Amino acid sequence: MATKSGNATALTVLSPIKNGTMGETSYADMTRERCLRLPIHEKSPLSKVPNTYLARLFILDDVFYESLPANDAVFNFSDIWSFFSDSARKKSLPRRDHLKSKYLVFSSNFYGDLDDYLTGLWDKWSYTDHDGNQRDIRYIWEHCVAFDRVTDCAGFIQYIKRCQLDASLFFNGSTDDSLQEQLKALYLKQEFTKFAVAHQGKSAIEIQQAFKAFIARVQPDNLSSPSWFPGQSTP
Amino acid sequence: MSNIAGKAYAMNVITPIRWYMVWINRLIFKIALNRPSTLKGLITLSLIHYARWVIIPRNAFPRLDENQPKEDLNYAYMLFFSNFNGSWDQYVDSFTFAIPAGLDLFWKWNVRYPKSVPLTPFHDYIRHNQIDTAHYYNAYPMAASNDVKSAKKVKKALIDFNAVSSDKAPDDFLKDYNKLLNDLQLQLGEMKPTPIVSLSSYEVKKRYEQTQTH
Repeated sequence: MATKSGNATALTVLSPIKNGTMGETSYADMTRERCLRLPIHEKSPLSKVPNTYLARLFILDDVFYESLPANDAVFNFSDIWSFFSDSARKKSLPRRDHLKSKYLVFSSNFYGDLDDYLTGLWDKWSYTDHDGNQRDIRYIWEHCVAFDRVTDCAGFIQYIKRCQLDASLFFNGSTDDSLQEQLKALYLKQEFTKFAVAHQGKSAIEIQQAFKAFIARVQPDNLSSPSWFPGQSTP
Repeated sequence: MSNIAGKAYAMNVITPIRWYMVWINRLIFKIALNRPSTLKGLITLSLIHYARWVIIPRNAFPRLDENQPKEDLNYAYMLFFSNFNGSWDQYVDSFTFAIPAGLDLFWKWNVRYPKSVPLTPFHDYIRHNQIDTAHYYNAYPMAASNDVKSAKKVKKALIDFNAVSSDKAPDDFLKDYNKLLNDLQLQLGEMKPTPIVSLSSYEVKKRYEQTQTH
């Protein structure tokens, strides 16, 4: 399946947002503002969702009209007809498309199975907004079509799957280890680099003793601690 | 708007594709998927964390309720999502220089795709069809994709070295330790917030702080 690459999974979700406004603000703009105001890095609610490598949210307002000139074989051919009539010239232009709904797009790259991940998304997503209110996942999807029927985790999983699109090609240029494994490895790389620099030129006994103390401190086999935490943005 | 999270940049591109050409694109992706050698070029672009292509047939935009208007589109659409390290220009140019033919193969049937060479029309095409990200999360903002890959090697080497060499006589230990450093010299390096996109990161942080106070 193209949405998997080893243990890494690509989730693509397009959730239609209700047309209409609340006061003077459209539901799409309200959703956009909520996404924009989400805390970043270690404070992002996604840092609490287990096994999220990288994820994003944005609003698809519309599709674009291909107005730029280009080396496009089909249209270059049809451009020839424009010599003969103006209607032929117009027909040779790209068609104009517009979406009838705006979509909340959620794209995530994560470790593991979809159901486990979506359960984590429902259970763990939480943050305090700029007004001091505690928010869960429903706050972001609140204005999406038919989301008012979602009342529990099973309903959320079902809803997201209705909005899910399969990837035709998923390219994994990183690793497909669990996030805990990746973060521990990064922590070890960071700490061992510092160790190597700090112990240059010392005697064999000094380095050996220091190395043993280093291993006792960093505990390479202990994935949970000490380690980097998800979204950690400063050393 | 935040296309940047630490060292990673989020790119979203949506381009129309003639509906009757969708099957060809799907076939190309399927071949690429089943023959990993065709993705060799992509693998050389080691600045990529994860990337994907999603094709939405013109009648397949999610419709969840009878009251939601049905889309009526002339074209199918191809979505491209990428998570990469470095700047926009570095990324787009590296695609052009490393895998121009592969790039053209993936986008060939998209309406008014200008081809990846020369650069300027290709830049215009991507900019024209790119959508900014509203919220971007990266589990390791200080790490590049190469850091994640090299960290895996460091972890394994450290565990192996500790099991085999830590209790040896000091001189033998030092010999093994020096070999370990030699073997890992391409993998080691301290990670910090990147200087390359620090100005952008600064702007992201500043904008975020503004949204928290207004």
